[in-house]
Amino acid sequence: MSEPLGPGTLFAIGLRANLLQATWNFERQQGLGWAFALAPALRELYPDHGERMRRLAEHTAFFNTQPTLASIALGAAARLEEQRATGGEGDEQGMARLKAVLGSTLAAVGDRLFWFTLRPFAAVAGVLLAMTWREPALGAAALWAIYAIPHLALRFSGVGWGYREGPGILSGRLRTRMERVMRALAAIGCALLGVTLAWALAPAGEPRPIAVQCSLAGGLGLGLLTAQRARPSPTRWALALGVLALGWVLLRRGS
Amino acid sequence: MNGALFGTLLAGGLAALDATPVAQTLVSQPLVTATVLGLLWGDWPTALAVGIVLQILAASTLPIGARTPEDYSVGGVAGAGVALLLASVAPFEHVRQAASLIGVLVGMTAASLYVPVLRWQRRLNEGLARWCEASLRRGFERSLTQAQWAAVALAFALGVAVCGAWLALAQAAVPLVERESLRIAGVWNLLQPFWLGFGIAQLLNAFVQRRLERAGVFAATLVAAWLVLVAGTP
Repeated sequence: MSEPLGPGTLFAIGLRANLLQATWNFERQQGLGWAFALAPALRELYPDHGERMRRLAEHTAFFNTQPTLASIALGAAARLEEQRATGGEGDEQGMARLKAVLGSTLAAVGDRLFWFTLRPFAAVAGVLLAMTWREPALGAAALWAIYAIPHLALRFSGVGWGYREGPGILSGRLRTRMERVMRALAAIGCALLGVTLAWALAPAGEPRPIAVQCSLAGGLGLGLLTAQRARPSPTRWALALGVLALGWVLLRRGS
Repeated sequence: MNGALFGTLLAGGLAALDATPVAQTLVSQPLVTATVLGLLWGDWPTALAVGIVLQILAASTLPIGARTPEDYSVGGVAGAGVALLLASVAPFEHVRQAASLIGVLVGMTAASLYVPVLRWQRRLNEGLARWCEASLRRGFERSLTQAQWAAVALAFALGVAVCGAWLALAQAAVPLVERESLRIAGVWNLLQPFWLGFGIAQLLNAFVQRRLERAGVFAATLVAAWLVLVAGTP
């Protein structure tokens, strides 16, 4: 079968996937962004304006997944649209099924890999470098590069990948590989946290005053306790304690 | 200073874009935005002091389930911006520390208060999506692009406006920093390590996930790093 969707179109889909969440809303979530990203493929596949508008409107329906891995779903959907346009298999229900299955499966893998592992890992690496190196921009650059390079690489290459492999891309082998990456990042993240804590206790080998070390240990202890609860959020704990401490010191001014 | 203020507002808008609507490359994370603002204001130490604390708290704030988490993109810019503005009052270490404390508190407050703004923005996007679908069905193809760019413009404007509001409010804190900077600096010297420890614990919990070997890696690295730092040799 011929492949009318060329690399230029797949690249345009990847580029537009950067706006996947621009119109994120509670009703359709990424639906509008999904249609926007897929528009270059539909423009090529459906020269008839009316038919193209019907397809585009159809694609504005609900869709949601992890935004980086959404490119894979976009590629697979472009492939299915191509089959629809050339009279092969695939219909509206088939497209809805593909979006539902890929959306939830990619979200399950992507949320764990990108939100819960790579993002905290990049943050810890960035903070550690910002605390320890004399070059102030190094931490920020490391944080950005550790996350953005794999994120953008997958965003652009994922479209072609999903287009070639289709829904079968989520085979056991890929999941096993991703699980391995997550385990490695979590272990290295633990090690980086150990170094960060050691540096916070004794920056450049100079132990900080005992009051500071106690404060650090207190924060660590309270953090471990509150981390066992989903609510309230860490921010509310940290903010409440900060406001209380500042208020207490300022109110004691006269005494 | 006007250039730095303008740059801070611009950073607020760009951070609001990167957080969700455009690209999501983490350029909106507090450490990155604080570093940029440090360059703009010519004060790296204050910017990094605020950026590090907000970053460690931002990293431990995870988007679990349907919850809209605190938004540290605009919060990070507001916090670092306010700290830099207050630190520019006088060139003393205790003023810098007092400004850092207020900056971190503003950052966390701004991140929390931005949640209802985000929800409102997303409700507006619902209307935009319905309009877009109806327009497409009427054959108006450009409505898709127009809806996308309208949402991007709204997100950018909200980021700029919220950062501007926090910077304007920060002017009210200038007398407090001038008068009480020594006391506030004392609080910073204890709260900063507390917040760091608190954030590290949250992240550790996220990485360990009740696996003993990972907790072991953390403990072993902590001891080894401590020995290397303090004794100079492992």
